[in-house]
Formats: sequence, structure tokens, C-alpha cells
Amino acid sequence: MALAVPLGLLALWELLARLAVVSPRYFPPPSRVSTALVDGFTEGDLGGETLVTLTRLALAFALAAVPAVPLGLLMGMVKQVREAVEPYIAVLFPVPKIALLPFLMILLGVGEPAFVLTGAISAFFQITISTLAGVQTMDPRLLDVGRNYGAHGARLFTRVILPAALPAIFTGLRLGLGLALVAIVVVEFIAAKSGLGHLVYRHWQTLSTPQMYGAFALVGALGLLLTRGLRALQTRMLVWQEDPGRL
Amino acid sequence: MSRGPGWLAQHWLTVASPVALLIGWEVASAVGLLREAFFPRPSTVLVHLRRLVADGTLLGHALPTLSRIGGAFALAAILGVVTGLAMGLWRRLREGLDPVFAVVYPIPSVLFLPFVSFLVPRGETALIVTTAATSFFLIAFTTTEGVRQIDPLVVEAARHYGARGRRLFTAVLLPGALPFIFTGLRLGLGYALIVVVAVEIVSASRGLGALLWLSWQVLKVEDMYATFLVIAALGAVLSYGLAALRARLLPWAQDVAER
Amino acid sequence: MKVEPVKVVVDDVSVAFDSRGHTVVALDRISLAVAAGEFLCVVGPSGSGKSTLLRVVAGLLRQTSGDVRIEAERPGAPLTAMVFQEHALLPWRTVLANVVFGLENRGVSRAQREARAREMLALVGLSRFARHYPHQLSGGMKQRVGIARALANDPEVLLMDEPFAALDAQTRTIMQEELLRIWATLGTTVIYVTHSLEEALLLGDRVVLMTARPGRVSQVFPVELGRPRGLEIRSSPAYGVLLEKIWTELRDEVLKSMEADRDP
Repeated sequence: MALAVPLGLLALWELLARLAVVSPRYFPPPSRVSTALVDGFTEGDLGGETLVTLTRLALAFALAAVPAVPLGLLMGMVKQVREAVEPYIAVLFPVPKIALLPFLMILLGVGEPAFVLTGAISAFFQITISTLAGVQTMDPRLLDVGRNYGAHGARLFTRVILPAALPAIFTGLRLGLGLALVAIVVVEFIAAKSGLGHLVYRHWQTLSTPQMYGAFALVGALGLLLTRGLRALQTRMLVWQEDPGRL
Repeated sequence: MSRGPGWLAQHWLTVASPVALLIGWEVASAVGLLREAFFPRPSTVLVHLRRLVADGTLLGHALPTLSRIGGAFALAAILGVVTGLAMGLWRRLREGLDPVFAVVYPIPSVLFLPFVSFLVPRGETALIVTTAATSFFLIAFTTTEGVRQIDPLVVEAARHYGARGRRLFTAVLLPGALPFIFTGLRLGLGYALIVVVAVEIVSASRGLGALLWLSWQVLKVEDMYATFLVIAALGAVLSYGLAALRARLLPWAQDVAER
Repeated sequence: MKVEPVKVVVDDVSVAFDSRGHTVVALDRISLAVAAGEFLCVVGPSGSGKSTLLRVVAGLLRQTSGDVRIEAERPGAPLTAMVFQEHALLPWRTVLANVVFGLENRGVSRAQREARAREMLALVGLSRFARHYPHQLSGGMKQRVGIARALANDPEVLLMDEPFAALDAQTRTIMQEELLRIWATLGTTVIYVTHSLEEALLLGDRVVLMTARPGRVSQVFPVELGRPRGLEIRSSPAYGVLLEKIWTELRDEVLKSMEADRDP
């Protein structure tokens, strides 16, 4: 039922393209796009390119999450740290991270490190902010409970603060992953010579439109899979939570 | 963050931290601890910024960017709010469009450029439409949420006191959704900036993104930093300016954190 | 009347803090003595500092001046355990895991703490829900878990901060009955804070009346309604007389506190 509208739209597109109501050159029918996709995986290197994008994403995400979560936690618990770091986050958060790419390329050359780092920075701010929010918005009475029942210092942290912040941290990781993917794909579109983003660009320049739409759809599918998948994981792991949110 | 007389004394770290960094940078760059070619001194960057402003280059690039953001935002806002309201009010529509949105939303706006360029003549229109993409989805989405989260008891009470149809919409539903709509608009505006920079890098000869890329290609590092500063300032204004405006216009609403 | 040994002494405790430039006195030189095994109820209008007093006794809040002394008879037992308003259970732990929380922090062995927890859950009638999560329980059930958690800890003094205030009237009545039953079995020293005079007279051995801010002890009333007590006490004439008498005093304080909220 939920697929009725998208399938209907695709069917309409197929019809319009076949009948040449729209130019099949610029808007190839979905059947041709799916053939191109299949061919790309079986005969071409579509699988390899997808892997390239995924690898960059994984690295970027790890690079972002590992420092961001501890930083967010620290900021949440120690006022001085928060005050010292806040101005940078406030200033850099609204900046398009793609604008950092040229700087990174000067420092690190035009290659993987610059690409991955751009993706990492995109995710980094989101994860830090979400983690911080997780600590700041926890039910303060849980701290009372912890202390009244004998949990202090490190114990209070591991048994009360960390679990309480976990849903927000998880949401931050989820959003961060989405942001990292977007950043990586954009970087590939603009500056890389491999990866799904680059494929869209290349096929655009050579007007091999079925392949272009194919790569395009693949990016969408990847994004969807990752966000939905993570959301399902979050529901599974945080059994005790009620609603992880729509996005 | 309310600013009372004691604010500076209590939050001195917030100011001291970046100031210390800038001073440290200036010194490190001057003595060669940081390679000046990669990390020009902040003072030098400011000089270059002054020059760019003075000889009109900055304005020549900032105006196209601003007009594109304006156009894209207007497009995304109008279409987004209308679509969002419709989806919020009619379940069928929402259920039908949801899957489409879910697949298309995660795709970075700039990737739509080829598609848009097939539909619409190459040039400003294509750039504006592309820039509007993600913002549109964001605004539609938050608007829908805004309608859906209105307490049904409030609606019931309003109905009971005689508000129907048009009146119910303007007196209850619209104001009720307004905080969410506003948050969506704020986010959408921020996104428009993010996308426009990427779009300009790919496909424009004028604009802040284009200027940044151009400066990179000829390795005018100080100009790169100066342009970056302008982009960051623009980002801050767009992000925080709207937040302040919102506090003024919608004093009864608390900020809705995006989920 | 048999004189019981003193369990808790609150000695001239004051709590003052800074709020937007001026000093707010929440508690003003409170002095109280609680006997061992006594069920002491503290009643007062909003802003009388009742919860603040409880938090000072629990050690969660530092008093500005004065002293709190608790007679510790059992080495190793925690001095206090608090039952919070709106349960404050750890949402990520099962019911059982919540009840063992205090024991876990004290390093009690797994076998021992599980046994004790199950004992307490049986006492509050929730044995079947050991593996449930808080969000799956009703308000009354959650509060019972909160009580089980406090009791499992075997404290010298049990502190209860308006534990039933967030429940609907019917559930509240059932819970009061439960509490009377449990307390009759265990005989722990209890300090119980509440808004409701009816509740205080139903449950307590003595009622401490507090004034509107700044909170002071206005009067202390003994409640001689016999033990063991049940809900039927509410229709006894002695109860009615006591209620009327104390309410007259409390009413003045409540009005004073409402005055404070009005436009200047």
C-alpha cells in the first residue's frame, strides 16, 4: 500500500518515456535504468564504486564518532569544557562543511584523506551537539537517585549519566551518519575520481543517462537503508525507549 | 543565553577561548611554527578581506549567492509549507507521499543538478531550483509534524466553541503549527546556504562558493580564508538571526529541537 | 507513652540560596527529633521547603547552617533511602534491576541482592513484573517499584517525598493502605512529606506543620489514633476532630503562601 504511489509514478514515467512524450534521452524509462544498474553490477564496476563510497563513509563516521561522543559527554559534565568549546561549535556548525574541502586539499592534497575528513567533520558537530544535549536534558532526579543509592563519581557516570544520555547519543550518531554520507557524496561529485557521487557526475558529463539515474537511485537507496536500518537498530537496542523519532 | 551584567564574568571562557586561539595562531604563523602558506596570519587574512571588499570583488560574488539563497528559500518555503500543511491535514496524501520523500530526502541537493538541468534551462533558474531541493523536503516535513503534533484536545475545545473550517485553520491549526514551521524555515534557510555553496562550486562562475573554489585553484590562500570567513558569517546570520526573530514573533513557543 | 530512642536529629538547619541577585531562605532554623520506628509526616503549603528538608536529611543538598545527625545502629546499612515523587526509576533497567540498584552500588553479591530484591518485590506485590521495563507499568506500579527499591536498601531511615501525589485518587488510596501494611511489618523510621493533611493523619504518628516560605516549624501535633491503623480510621470521630483542628492552622499558612504568588 505504501508503495502504490511511487510505483504508480514509475509506471507513469515508463509510459511517458516509451511514448517519447518526454525525451527518453534525458529521462530514460525506469526499465532501462534498472537494466543499466544490473549490468553495472554484473559486468561493470558499480559494486566496486559503491564499496569505495561505503569505505569512505565508514572511515569518516568512525573518525567523527570516536572523538565526538567523549567530547559531548565531557562538555555536558564539566562547565569549563563546555564554555571553552562552545564558541567553535556555534560558529562552525552553520558553515557548509563542503567549504572546508579546499582547505583540506591544500593541507592533505587532493585525495582520500581530504575527502574522508570533510565527511568526518560534517558528522562530528552533529554527534557532539546531540551527545551534549543528551547529558543536559537528562532527568536531573536520576542524578539524585544515583547519589542517594550510593553511586558516585565514575559509578554515577557509567550507571546513570551514560545510559540516560544514550538515546540522544544514538540519535546523534544516526543523524551524523546521514550527514557524513551526504558530505562524502557531494565531495565525490565535486572533486573525486571514484565513488557513487563521482559516477553521477561522470555519467552526466557523458550523457549516459540510464547509468546516471542508476547511480542516483543507488545513493538514495543507500541513504534510506542506513537511516532506516539505524533507526530499527536503535529501537532494538534501546528496548526501554518509547520512540526514537521520525527522522 | 541571556546577557545580564554578570554574563562576561561568568562565561569568560567562552570569549577567552577563541581569542586565545586567534592570538596563538597569529604568533605561531608569524614565527613560522605554522606554515604561513597553509595557515596565513589572521591579520593578513583581514587585510585581504578588506581588499576584496574595497575593490568590489566580494560584493560581486556575494550578491549572486544571496539572491540564489533568497530565490531558493522562497521557492522551498512556499512549496514546502503548502505541501506540509496539505500532508498534515490529509492522511491519504501523507501516506502516499511519505515513501517518495523518504527515498528522495537523503540525496544531497547538489546531485539533483543534472536532473534539474534537463528540466529547466541551464543558468540561474537551474541553480535556484537545485538549491531549493533539500530545504523543500525539510520544510514540508517539519510543517507536517507541526500540524500533527497539535493537541487534539485543543482542537476539540476550539470546535466546541464554534471554530470551523477556515476559522479553525487560521485560529487554531496554523498558530499551533507555527513553532514547528518556523524551526523548519530556519533549518531550511541554513541548508539553502550549504547547498548553494556546493552548487556554485560545481557550476557557477560567480558566487561565494565559486570564489572559494577559484581562489583554491590559483592557490590564493588568504583569499580562501577571507571568503570562508564571509561564508561563515553568512551562516551565522542566517542561523541565529532567524532564531532571534522567532523569539520575538513567537514568544509563547519554546524552541523545538529537531529529532 | 513509651519513650523511643532518637533516630534522627535535625539541629537548627537553615537553607538559603541565591536567586537572581537576592537571597531566598528556603528553610529557617528547623529543629526536629524523630524517634526510632516513628512515622513522621511533614505537611506544609507549597514553598514551605518540605522537600528541601528531606533532601538535606538525605544528604543530597548541603544545608547553609545547622546539623543533621542520624543514629546508625547497623554498620554497613545506608543512612537513608528516598522514595521520589514520580518514581524516578532508571528507565533502561528492568524492574528487578532497578530494585537492586542500591545494593549493587554497595557491592552486595549478585545472589544476595537478587534474593533481597525479589523479597521486596513480593512485599509490594509485583513479583510477576520483575523483567518488565518501567514504561510498561502503570503509575501506581512504578511507585511501588520505587518503594521496593528503597526498602531493598534496608536504610536506617526511609524518606518519602510526596510519593503518591502524582497518582489518581483511587490508586492513591490503595497505595496508602499498602504502605500502612508494609510499614507495620517492617517498622522502619519514616519521614514522609505530603501536601495532604488527610494523608498525613492517616499514615503518621506525628504531624509537623511547616509555614509558608521561609519554611519554619509552625507546630507539631501528635496523632493518637492507635496502631495498627487501616483506612477505616478516616471515618472515626477522633480523626475528624484532629483534621479540623490542624487544618485551621494549615489553612492560614496556605493562604499566606498563595498571597506571596499574587501580584504585588
